[in-house]
Amino acid sequence: MMKILCINGSPKSKNSSSELLINELCKMLGINNEYTTTKTMGVTKQEFLEKFEGVDVAVVVFPLYVDGIPSNLLRLLYESKDELKNINSDVVIYAISNNGFFEGKQNALALDMIKHFCEAAGVKWGQGLGIGAGGMLTVAPIGAGPLKSIGADLKTFSANINESISSDNLFTQPNFPKLLYKLGGHANWKKSAKENGLKIKDLYERR
Amino acid sequence: MVKTLVLQDINLSGLDLDKDKYIIFKQSQSVKPCVGCFGCWVKTPGKCVIKDSDSDFAVKMPHVEEVIIISELVFGGLSPNVKAVLDRSIGFILPFFCKVNGEMHHKQRYDKRPNLKYMLYGEKMPEAEKVTAQKLIKANATNLGADKFSVEFYNSTAELLEDLKQ
Ligand SMILES: Cc1cc2nc3c(=O)[nH]c(=O)nc-3n(C[C@H](O)[C@H](O)[C@H](O)COP(=O)(O)O)c2cc1C
Repeated sequence: MMKILCINGSPKSKNSSSELLINELCKMLGINNEYTTTKTMGVTKQEFLEKFEGVDVAVVVFPLYVDGIPSNLLRLLYESKDELKNINSDVVIYAISNNGFFEGKQNALALDMIKHFCEAAGVKWGQGLGIGAGGMLTVAPIGAGPLKSIGADLKTFSANINESISSDNLFTQPNFPKLLYKLGGHANWKKSAKENGLKIKDLYERR
Repeated sequence: MVKTLVLQDINLSGLDLDKDKYIIFKQSQSVKPCVGCFGCWVKTPGKCVIKDSDSDFAVKMPHVEEVIIISELVFGGLSPNVKAVLDRSIGFILPFFCKVNGEMHHKQRYDKRPNLKYMLYGEKMPEAEKVTAQKLIKANATNLGADKFSVEFYNSTAELLEDLKQ
C-alpha cells in the first residue's frame, strides 16, 4: 500500500488531458494504493506543500507549454523547492507530460525540468513519460485502437511507480498516421473559428 | 535601427539603455497564467484573450529585430513570471501544423520574426540545467521561427547588467 499524490498541472478546470491521464493512471496503479489529487491553479504554496505530507509518491501530470512547464505549475514548484524537503524528504517524484504536437519526444525538456526540480529540492526522481498528440486521448479508451501504444507505455510506467523503480524517460504517441492527426487538427481549428463567428482568413490576422 | 524587445525578471531602471534601440517590456508583478483556452488562436487571433497589458508581448514581437529574455535559470528553463508572459504569447504563431526537420510544429503568422537571445543568471547553476537551457532555446527558436538564437549564462545579475551596458 502506497500513498500517491497526483498533481494536475493543467490550468484547465475541466476536460484536460492531464485529468484524463490521472484517472487512467490511478486505475492502472490499482486499488491497493491510496490516492489524493491537487490542482495547480489558484492553489497557494502552503496548500500545495501540505498535499505532500505523508505521501510516498507524487506524480506530476501536465501539458507541455512552450517546450516547458506551464507557468501555473512552474510557480508552485519554484516557490516550494526550498521547503519540500522539510515536509517530505522521502517522496519519489514521477511525471507525465502531454503535448499538442504529434511526437511524444518533444516533452523531453519539460520532463528534464521536473528532474532538475527534484535535484534542486533534494528529493528522489523516478521517471518521466512523454505523450504526444494529447488532444487525441478521448478518441478511444486508453489501450484500445489508436491509443493501444499509449496504453502499453502507461502500463509500464504505472508498474514502475508501484515498484518505486527509477528509470529512463519513456516517450509515446498514438499508433495513428501523423498526416491524419494534422488534418484533423486543422479541421478543428477551422470549426472553432466558425463557432466564434470568425472566418478562416481571420485566423491569419496580423497585428 | 535595430529594435530589441526585452522581457526580464530583474530591475533594469538603473541602466541607461538607448530608448530608440530597446523596448523594455514591463509585465505585472504576478502575471496571470494562461488558462489553456486557445482563444489567442480562435477568438482574438494573434493575442491572448485576457484583458491586461501582459497580453501585449505577442503583438510587439513581430515589430522588433530581436527579443532578449533576461531570466533566472529555473530548473533549466525560465522563471515563472517570464514564462507566464511567453505562455500567453503563443498567438504569435498560427494554430496550423507544418513539418520542421521531420517534426511537427506550427506555421508562422508573421514573415518577419525576431532573433532570440536568452541571458540567464543564477548563483550556482548546475551544469545539467545549463544543458537543458541550451536545448530549450533551440526548441523555442524552432517554434517561434527565429533564424538566429543564442544563450549566455551569468553568475550574478551584476555580471549580466555589466554585459548589457556594453
Ligand atoms: C500556451 C500553450 C503552449 C503550448 N506549447 C506547446 C508546445 O510547445 N509543444 C506542444 O507540442 N504543444 C504545446 N501546447 C499544446 C498542449 O500541450 C496540448 O494542448 C495538451 O494536450 C494540453 O493538455 P491539458 O488538456 O492537460 O491541458 C501548448 C498549449 C498552450 C495552451
